[in-house]
Amino acid sequence: MNDRVRKIIHVDMDAFFASVEQRDDPSLRGVPLAVGGSPNGRGVVAAASYEAREYGVRSALPSARALRLCPDLVFVHPRFETYREVSRAIRAIFAAYSDRIEPLSLDEAYLDVSDSPCCEGSATRMAREIRERIRAELGLTASAGVSYNKFLAKLASDQDKPDGLFVIRPEAGEAFVQSLPVRRIHGIGPATTARMSALGIETGADLRAWSREALVERFGKAGERYYWLARGIDDRAVQSRRVRKSIGQENTFATDMTESADMQAELERLAGRVAERLEALEVIARTVTVKVRFADFSIVTRSWTAPGGLATLEDLRPLLGLLLERALPEHAAVRLLGVTVSNLEPREAHQPALWG
Amino acid sequence: MKFEIARESLLKPLQQVIGAVERRQTLPALANVLIRATGDGLQLTATDLEIELQADVAVEVERPGETTVTARKLLDICRNLPTGASVGVELDGERVVVRCGRSRFTLVTLPAAEFPVVDEVQAQVEFQLGQAQLKRAIDRIGFAMAQQDVRYYLNGLLFELAGDRLRTVATDGHRLSMCEIRAELPGGEGQQVIVPRKGVIELARLLDPEADEAVTIRVGGNHIQVDIPGLRFTSKLIDGRFPDYTRVVPEGGAYEMRADRETLRQALARTSILSNEKYKGVRLALNGSGLSVQTHNPDQEEAEEEIEVEYAGEALEIGFNVVYLLDILGSIEGDTVQAQFNDSNSSCLITDVASDECRHVVMPMRL
Repeated sequence: MNDRVRKIIHVDMDAFFASVEQRDDPSLRGVPLAVGGSPNGRGVVAAASYEAREYGVRSALPSARALRLCPDLVFVHPRFETYREVSRAIRAIFAAYSDRIEPLSLDEAYLDVSDSPCCEGSATRMAREIRERIRAELGLTASAGVSYNKFLAKLASDQDKPDGLFVIRPEAGEAFVQSLPVRRIHGIGPATTARMSALGIETGADLRAWSREALVERFGKAGERYYWLARGIDDRAVQSRRVRKSIGQENTFATDMTESADMQAELERLAGRVAERLEALEVIARTVTVKVRFADFSIVTRSWTAPGGLATLEDLRPLLGLLLERALPEHAAVRLLGVTVSNLEPREAHQPALWG
Repeated sequence: MKFEIARESLLKPLQQVIGAVERRQTLPALANVLIRATGDGLQLTATDLEIELQADVAVEVERPGETTVTARKLLDICRNLPTGASVGVELDGERVVVRCGRSRFTLVTLPAAEFPVVDEVQAQVEFQLGQAQLKRAIDRIGFAMAQQDVRYYLNGLLFELAGDRLRTVATDGHRLSMCEIRAELPGGEGQQVIVPRKGVIELARLLDPEADEAVTIRVGGNHIQVDIPGLRFTSKLIDGRFPDYTRVVPEGGAYEMRADRETLRQALARTSILSNEKYKGVRLALNGSGLSVQTHNPDQEEAEEEIEVEYAGEALEIGFNVVYLLDILGSIEGDTVQAQFNDSNSSCLITDVASDECRHVVMPMRL
């Protein structure tokens, strides 16, 4: 591990798609707004404005259900072309501060500014400037978190959201984690949260009380990671897009899944997140892989290479069931599902398929 | 084996069968043409194990026999001999000697017994079709076939027999074209076979659109065979299920545009010069009776052209792979084309206003 203290900024746009729509169409300002598919079809909410969030409307919610939560909800179709353009402009601002930028989606990125000469090396001042420039040049607000690793920078950007800036200094990092509920710790999903809760681990402080050996014994390799995170330590590097070879999402379930309809739905949810990152990195993938881990911990993966390229959830969706079918024996109990895309290429344009 | 033949009588069948010969072969014999000389005349056969082409030539055979020689070399020799010359061909031990005037060529041979030939095709369905009709059914839509796609069943042309009509369908997954011709077909209701791409291309090349004679088509379990006067074409079939094309051919669309085919084709051909070389995107912007055709490329170069069209729908922008559109416009014969669509994300149906023979479906591109 590098013993020099790093300076990481996490920038997260506030209700990005919805804010862009409200910026471009004054009649949408101040109203609960959902960007996404029509509530009449199978559409889902891609983004919700803060006005809509007060009603419980959030992304990935089926549009029809969102409308029930908030009958005055206004729907607009996403304009990805515009979001990509804005995202490029945001990244151009980032580029003035560092060339080590890792976009997570169109509206979210890590910057490693450890070696940046800007603002006399002050990451806090850089984050302030970035936020000001985004507001001045693009008419949008962003929240930023500054810290010495990715884990804490991301927690920090969430701290004063929206339109906030929060700094977790090296000496405060460990203490910051102590009060966190464990589900907010990177890599701890609902399944692990439930298992930890059963062990009496509810907060970072509870987690910190466990020895490395005990955590590894219970959680395998991940236990080692939890041990360090509980101490505010995370040595993952900020990866700019050049080094990225694949994009994947997976989820371990609190209870094993047995219904193939549930599995299909879960794969679609994971694929949706993968598609968001494809969007953000402005790449298309040639290959998609579905990973299944069964109750007995055995793993099966099935892949498909599509010559036309895969760019969106619509491209991925018809393949998911096909691959799942090939991976599943009858009456399988599944504890983990994953979707990964690889063979990434820059996206200049995309040709969708007739079937799918 | 010995015979004397006019240069043209040998050149034509050689040119007909050469299409089956791959430039790189998996077996040495596949580079060769099988020559069979019998009392009935001459029979030339070439194959790549997937397709087999056989041509018959009426010629007086002095001494019957059979052998194989390198197809391309024999063709090149014939091609370079003087027009109207008489050519003598003789098997002499393990060599074939070709004589013409004062030229003499000695070619090595491989035994005829080593040449792979297709067994007799057991026809499940047999019918006759006009040569020109069959050629149309292929040529009008063959461009939409996939090429070396992992979905192997798309690398060919679907022939569907349905009572009184023959339907051909080609798709690469992004666009689809289909053609329907009236034909008296015996039974075989709804039977579908997929003929591989190379076979389709060779078959179309062998068919003469001017010829009146019908061809006989035989469909077996694994093969399709077409008897053209003087020629027999045999191809393996692709063992796979063609996707349900009826699902993706729209019945029509909320919006309808009509344009002069040639005007539109030329505008697209010109603007395509500055489209992105990899994605070939073109943006069509419809507004009233104006259609703006726009392209740009990564070098920031741009092309734009405005043409008049008939359009009553609301303003709409829609992107396409320009190659797909040019393929279709190149195939349509009538003066006016019609495009029907619902929005810029759903498939678009393109037809010839003057004919309902072909339907072309294209998925728009996101640009």
